[in-house]
Amino acid sequence: MWFKTRPSALGDFEQLVLLGVLRLGPDAYGAAIRQEIHARSSRDVSINAVYTTLDRLERKGFLKSWIGEPTAVRGGRRRKFYALRPSGITALRHSYRALTAMAEGLEHRLEPK
Amino acid sequence: MTPQPPRLAAWLLTRRIRGEWRDFVVGDLEEEFRARCAVAPGRARRWFWRQAIRALVLPLPPEGHDVVQGRTMSRRDSIVRTLMGDLRAGVRVAYRAPAFSAAVIFVLALGIGANTAIFSIVDAVLLRPLPFQDPARIVRLFHIPPQATFPGMPTFSVSAANFYDWQRRAQSFEGMAIYRFRQFTMTGGDHPESILAGAVGAGFFDLVRARPALGRVFRDDEDQPGREQVVILSDGFWRSHLGGSRDALGRSIMLDGRPYTVVGIMPSRFSIKSWGASGRDLWVPLAYTPEDRAVRDNHNAQVVARLKPGVTIEHARAEMAAISVRLEQEYPQANAGWGATVTGLRELIVGDIRASLVMLLAAVALVLLIACANVANLLFARGLARRKELAIRYAMGAGRRRVFQQLVIEALVLALAGGAVGLLFARLSLAAGAALLAAQVPRADEIAIDARVLLFVAGASVLTGILAGAFPAVRAGQADLTGALKEGGRSDAALGLRTRRLLIVGEVALSLILLMGAGVMVRTLVALRNVDAGFNPRSVLTMRITLPETKYKTAAQQSAFFDEALQRMRAIPGVETAGAIEDLPLARGSQQPIVIDGRAELLPRDQPTVAVRKITPGYLRAIQIPLFRGRDVQDSDVDVMLVSRAAAKLLWGEADPIGHTATLPLQSKTRTLTVIGVIGDVREEGLTTAPVAAVYEYTRERPWSSMALALRTTVDPESIVQPSAAVVRALDPQQPIEETRTMTDLVDETLTSQRFSALALGLFASVAMTLAAVGIYSVLSHIVRGRSREIGIRTALGARTGDVLRLVMYEGMAPTLFGVALGILGAFAFGTLLNRLVFGVSTSDPMTLALVAGLLVGVALIASLLPAYRASRLDPLKVLRIN
Repeated sequence: MWFKTRPSALGDFEQLVLLGVLRLGPDAYGAAIRQEIHARSSRDVSINAVYTTLDRLERKGFLKSWIGEPTAVRGGRRRKFYALRPSGITALRHSYRALTAMAEGLEHRLEPK
Repeated sequence: MTPQPPRLAAWLLTRRIRGEWRDFVVGDLEEEFRARCAVAPGRARRWFWRQAIRALVLPLPPEGHDVVQGRTMSRRDSIVRTLMGDLRAGVRVAYRAPAFSAAVIFVLALGIGANTAIFSIVDAVLLRPLPFQDPARIVRLFHIPPQATFPGMPTFSVSAANFYDWQRRAQSFEGMAIYRFRQFTMTGGDHPESILAGAVGAGFFDLVRARPALGRVFRDDEDQPGREQVVILSDGFWRSHLGGSRDALGRSIMLDGRPYTVVGIMPSRFSIKSWGASGRDLWVPLAYTPEDRAVRDNHNAQVVARLKPGVTIEHARAEMAAISVRLEQEYPQANAGWGATVTGLRELIVGDIRASLVMLLAAVALVLLIACANVANLLFARGLARRKELAIRYAMGAGRRRVFQQLVIEALVLALAGGAVGLLFARLSLAAGAALLAAQVPRADEIAIDARVLLFVAGASVLTGILAGAFPAVRAGQADLTGALKEGGRSDAALGLRTRRLLIVGEVALSLILLMGAGVMVRTLVALRNVDAGFNPRSVLTMRITLPETKYKTAAQQSAFFDEALQRMRAIPGVETAGAIEDLPLARGSQQPIVIDGRAELLPRDQPTVAVRKITPGYLRAIQIPLFRGRDVQDSDVDVMLVSRAAAKLLWGEADPIGHTATLPLQSKTRTLTVIGVIGDVREEGLTTAPVAAVYEYTRERPWSSMALALRTTVDPESIVQPSAAVVRALDPQQPIEETRTMTDLVDETLTSQRFSALALGLFASVAMTLAAVGIYSVLSHIVRGRSREIGIRTALGARTGDVLRLVMYEGMAPTLFGVALGILGAFAFGTLLNRLVFGVSTSDPMTLALVAGLLVGVALIASLLPAYRASRLDPLKVLRIN
């Protein structure tokens, strides 16, 4: 291509979801990610929103997914697990760097008193 | 036990969320629900509901995505969203090329319109049930007459005594009712009116399950003399004669000078004209006397019956046949040879017309096919012009299915528009042809554009769109991409040439089939017009006068009226002579057994029968039937008759019949008629039916109350209508005159069926031929444009004008000739549909075939001439410079 490829910037919620996947490691699936986000950022999002974002991130190539075995606690339904691809790590790193770079020196104003 | 999530919410979720997402989403929610239940079950349920509602409302990513060229396309997406998009695009494409779209829409509207018009007729006549409750169980019962005496006559009216025996014995029917028609003169209005009423026996209305809109139907005890002066009116008569007022009930109307009390009004839907018994203006009780009921040898009543549920017509037929055999044994004198049969009422009404309608439906289907071929041709040409656009779309990653879908939908948009315009055409043509239809088609009054017809239009349009659009779309899909792009949009005539030649072949073949049908029908008409009916219909005015028997009670009074009327009419300037007959030629009439020379009367099945007509002096000369031997009847004659040549041969062989005698036992076993003359054979039963043996009786004093008058004129017969009506008025101001028309109109009326078929087929064939000619012209123009370079080079190298002309003409004529050959085969197949309609010509008549093939080839020649001429005028220098 004649233009330089550049990782597209992550949205705010996308960042939360990617961080959730990163945090949960091998146990990253819809409900767990939703609860993780709820517990840590106190955003009570709908499960559909989580899956829509996961799906979009997968199509962008940041995530990979696989389907687990049915379990009784889920009424015999299967889980869909996600894990970060290298490009996902890179994108997350870019976002994190941008945020910390911009926030540098402002901690005292951003941290709760 | 594990806690279960709220059932309704879970059910809603499983319904709403489809595919693999159901497992993940519902599973996640259930899992988290159970975790929350361990803490607080009540809150967990509320939480589940909240989550479920959000999951129901918010969208999920489309499932099953396949990653193609960086874009995803789910199945759901392609059906709904791309369909709407393509529809919108189709409308835009149609708008952008208004002339092209108008041409396509017009061609399709012709095809769909013709189909819609014919379908709405077929729908009303063949498909829609009769407006009676459970109409499939309503049947008519008939006698089967002895074939030796009534050759070729399948059914016959029923005699009263036999009917009452049938009614008592038959088990297959819920009920059986007898009816007749009775001519009344109604007075009390502005002018006297002659009305044919239904005279119905007990139980008639209950049997057809007809409830009156007002009042009541007849009671069983009113079906006897002395109590029969009650009348039921049709909705139309009630509105036109009694102003539709509710207090019409209980009022009296004067019929034949006697008051009849109105007891009921039938609803308008009961009045279907195609069944004689329901299409009347009014009904009275039949009221047979005990003597009437005992008549077994006079077959003049009609019978309607309702089958018991579950009883088939075949079963009823078998039972009636068995009953007839017993009645034959019990009453051999009257019943020998008389069988009985059962026919569905619907079959009876539509039976004859089915053949023509099926033929017409096939014909319009052919027209639609030609229209499709033409439109396909146009779309194909445009597809070629758009090859570059399509190639770019392919190059950009559009799938073949996707492009195919878009092209077909573009065609669909045009077809739907064509269907809408076609509906308009159908409405207009049905309105324009209403009079012709009413004369020709039973149930014509029920023809309407209803929901079913609209559904048909929609279906036909969609089918047409797919038919016309799919072919070019498939071919577009096969186009070579790089070639199309490289050529830079230059149209190349060699492309798709085979396809377009095929379309010409198809159009020509279909046109030939239609032209052949039209040609055969026209020749039938010509043949029928040239049939020697045995009389001369030109310059004859006819009318019918029916005297009310309550006023003209005696034979002397009745004869005196007609004698005087004819005498005065002969005195009208411009009238050459006048006479009267019971039933005019071509209209069918009485058929009776005849006993000659005082021989013993045989059983009915062995007794010869002849057509019997009552005539007056002057009739023979009025319609110019030739007299071969003896003399015509004259006023002073008593009990004489004329015999047709066929009758003379049938009854007396080669012997001279004059002076011989005969009796007509149905009328009187004692009255003897003497033969005084032999006259020419007349087609009494219709133009297509060979003349039957006929006798014409006359006597001075005769109890004949209903006669048709025939006046031979030296001037235009129409101009005698007023003077002759004045004669009747002068004799009896209360006497109505009916059926006034010229004899030529009468002959034409018997030809409506053939005229209708010829007209419809001719119309369709000319549309088809025009479309084929346009098709040939456009294809050839396209070829000439595409091959102009080649033609230019040929001309430059010394080809003469004739060579170029030949080259182009060959392109047009080769597929035309092939189409003609194919069409001839098709015409033979289509001809079987016409077999029942033609007369005096074969459906595969070689001369007609040669004629229409020649016509088609001629039209194709003309259509190819212009493009060929243009090609021959091409300036090689210019052409070569451009290319």
